[in-house]
Amino acid sequence: MKTNERTVFVEDLRKTFYDESRGEVKAVDGVTFSCHPGEVFGLLGANGAGKTTTLRMLSTVLKPTGGTASVMGHDVVREPQAVRESLGFYSASTALFPRLTGQETLRFFARINHYPVERLQERVDALISRFGIQEYANARIEKLSTGMKQKVSIARTIAHDPPVLIFDEPTVGLDVLNALEMVKVIRELRAEGKTIIFSSHIMSEVEKLCDRIAIIHRGRLLALGTLASLREATEQHYLEDIFVHYVTRAEGLEAATIGVAGELEEAP
Amino acid sequence: MTNHRSPSVLGTLFRYEMRMLLRDTRTILIAIVAPLIMFPAYILVVNYVDSREQQALEEETYRYAVSGSRAGWAEGVVKAAIALDESDPDTSRAPVSFEFRNPPDPMGALEAGDIHVVVEGFSAPEWDSIRAEEREAEEEAREEEASGGEAAEADTAHAEEEPSLPAVRILYRGNSDFSEAARTRLRERILEVRATQRDSVLLSSGFPVAMSEVAPVEAESVASAAKASGLFLGLALTPFLVVLMLSGGSIVAVDAICGEKERGTLETLLTTAASRTDIVRAKLLAVIVVGLAVAVINVANLLVYIVLGVLDLPPDFVVEIDPLGLLLLLALLVPVAVLVAAALLLLSGASKSYREYQVFFFPVFVAFVVPSFAAGLPGIDLHSIIAVVPLAGVAVAVKEILVGEIDLPFQAFAFVSTAGLALWLTFKTHWTLSNEKLISGSDLDQADLTGGAALFPRHVLRWFLGLWVLFFLSSLWFGQDLGLRGQVVLNLLVIFFGGSLVMVRRYRLDPVEAYGLRKAHPAAWIAVLLGAPSALLVAFGITELVNTFVFPVPEQLLENFGQELLGPELPLWQLVLFLSVMPGIFEELFFRGILLHGLRRVIRRKWLLALTVGLIFGIFHVSLFRIVPTAWLGFILTWVVLFGGSIYPAMLWHALNNAIATVPATLGWLPEDFEPEAWWALPACLVLAFALWILWRTGPWNGTKGTGERSRGEAGTTRRR
Repeated sequence: MKTNERTVFVEDLRKTFYDESRGEVKAVDGVTFSCHPGEVFGLLGANGAGKTTTLRMLSTVLKPTGGTASVMGHDVVREPQAVRESLGFYSASTALFPRLTGQETLRFFARINHYPVERLQERVDALISRFGIQEYANARIEKLSTGMKQKVSIARTIAHDPPVLIFDEPTVGLDVLNALEMVKVIRELRAEGKTIIFSSHIMSEVEKLCDRIAIIHRGRLLALGTLASLREATEQHYLEDIFVHYVTRAEGLEAATIGVAGELEEAP
Repeated sequence: MTNHRSPSVLGTLFRYEMRMLLRDTRTILIAIVAPLIMFPAYILVVNYVDSREQQALEEETYRYAVSGSRAGWAEGVVKAAIALDESDPDTSRAPVSFEFRNPPDPMGALEAGDIHVVVEGFSAPEWDSIRAEEREAEEEAREEEASGGEAAEADTAHAEEEPSLPAVRILYRGNSDFSEAARTRLRERILEVRATQRDSVLLSSGFPVAMSEVAPVEAESVASAAKASGLFLGLALTPFLVVLMLSGGSIVAVDAICGEKERGTLETLLTTAASRTDIVRAKLLAVIVVGLAVAVINVANLLVYIVLGVLDLPPDFVVEIDPLGLLLLLALLVPVAVLVAAALLLLSGASKSYREYQVFFFPVFVAFVVPSFAAGLPGIDLHSIIAVVPLAGVAVAVKEILVGEIDLPFQAFAFVSTAGLALWLTFKTHWTLSNEKLISGSDLDQADLTGGAALFPRHVLRWFLGLWVLFFLSSLWFGQDLGLRGQVVLNLLVIFFGGSLVMVRRYRLDPVEAYGLRKAHPAAWIAVLLGAPSALLVAFGITELVNTFVFPVPEQLLENFGQELLGPELPLWQLVLFLSVMPGIFEELFFRGILLHGLRRVIRRKWLLALTVGLIFGIFHVSLFRIVPTAWLGFILTWVVLFGGSIYPAMLWHALNNAIATVPATLGWLPEDFEPEAWWALPACLVLAFALWILWRTGPWNGTKGTGERSRGEAGTTRRR
């Protein structure tokens, strides 16, 4: 399924926040990568590493401070609507409207994402049967269990059949079975030829699921490659060790840099 | 792939927004249905209680006693009054029955509630001495309060209208409805009896006509009933609708953005292909629709109760409005509806949570309701600057239409100003949807953990609000007792300087940085000598402009105020110390020192920063009429510090300003009616600009342009050329 066509392209992407007390904070500091159809691209990093900020820039919720990013050839700054039309964004913080039913939710999101009106009902029915939500499709979301909500939420993400899907820490707060279900769905979507960006800080998930892995730390990409190539480069087997290897190296370098700068400043 | 903003997306967003609202049954019940039931229920209960009370008051037999040296005479007067009440041909008021009692201690009986009133009769000399005692007590109280000039005048006026006939005094208990009712009824009748007595005395001693025919004065309105009702309606309509739309629109607005933020659905919505413009429009439309619906429902409700007779309209209430007027009226109310909705939506977008929305709602509510009453200002008409004040202009225009005056150009101004503000607020709402902090959740960040100086910019406004309250209350409570010097010491040393020291300690601030205690360039002192007097002249010019065109202040008020400001006579050195030197030092440390230090990291646009510091400085001068000149001074002084990088020139500038403004006038160095001409402000502007240019040219600003003051090291150095 995998091709070499570039569906997502990110180059030297930067995001600087201005905080009234801390001054400038570089949340994302020159990130470059690209993704292809039929691929699960993993963004692995600790909390606060810059994963979510990167993905929010890709989904045009945040504006980049520098660099470029595009989805399906549409630039995130110049054509934000076209970008959002070609992607589905799922994260623990993208909740559903509690007072709509599952059916209405799917109709609503397909519609505002410009899914053709004439095929709308057909699409909604297909999604309902695919995720097995027939039984509760007409109940309000607020009445559903976590697992049911999760299914509706995934269906909502792909309601308009976008070619690119972003899953930002999708398993946060899910129990083991629901998390496994999530992994299963992502595999299916890959098989359908979707481009999937999957971010997580859980090593085992990334190890199992991702075709390529990018390790992000303090807003910078430390490494990018297949699991095999990362193993080879670091001579470590487990992803956890690989991750620690890169992070320690980066921290060590940074410490060294600070030391040198300190010396320079003190020089007369 | 299409990149369009389809109308169907806007329609879908709006439909779902309304659907979700209507499904929120609890909110609908509490916000819309409950008032519909509670309002008439309240009126019915009040009416019922009122009629029961009325009945009880009418059925009661009122017991009275008489006392005083002329008790016998007083009893005769009361008997005549009661007879008059019983024989009154006017049957609109049911007669009440009175009963004479003769307790040994009338006062005791009154206090115990055994009788309702005591009627005292006094001879003329007795009455004179009672009045004299009362006056003395009054005067003492007045002297305690303040100045004595008016009291002397009032004294002679009293002496001339002294009564010298027997007097009647009715004693009653103000905390009892029955006692009050007895007093009211008896007093009216006694007055009638006494008027008849007076007339017969006058007629018998040769006065040619009845008293009622002497110098009669009648007033009659030439305005039609419709115009008079129009005035009443015109004053009430805008505030009434604004209050309804605010409370109704708020139901949707609070949920529309900040509710979605809290539930996490906002980000879901923002990652769809729907444009932000469509999202904001749909939400705005929903707020408008619900706000209008609530207004219409309540007005209809009111009409229903008027038709049912539960509510009474004022007598002679007629509304006449021609089609053009009605059209204009509706056209003017449209931007008001949009403005209210836009403000509520912006509030919703700017709030991080429901709680924050609720906290901010009250000030917004007040900010809307106050200008909506603009039509009630005495003497205001649309041919003034009020036409361009959003909302206030519409309020005045609405009133004028309802009293039958149509003034298209000014009504157009009112429309445009209100619509313009509404548009601008809508635009700002857009911005809240892209505000990173609001989307990316966590409130807690590094600053909260580090605490100290990093936290200060975030807390500085809170501190100043707290200190303002302290300042305001202390001047209210102790102002009179302390006198000018005491007040200056309390405000400057305790509240301002003490408060700033607490902040420095609490946040471990570097005093040199916080107060701006840096060396100034020698040229800065020349700039101050030029700038201070010219800025003062410009202030006079601005005040004059404001007083003439924006906010006419009655002359008398200004004069009184001037007296108050100059205060008691003090020796020159004290005047200079208390009114010039001390404010120069301590107000600068407080406002241009610590306040500016905290705010400069919060507000990055310099002009906005100067404006804010100026405004806060103005608000600390409490009086409404001094806000404009003091805010101007604060604004200029902020630039002095921003340009020059040091607090010291600002201190001298401030001290000079105060000295020039108060000393010559107080010590009588100027002619009595001296006042600077407004046009002097024009050349003064040039001098002021030159002075500020010197500060800019020689100060650190010029050297660190672009990087601003963010780096501490740079701000600390003074660039020399």
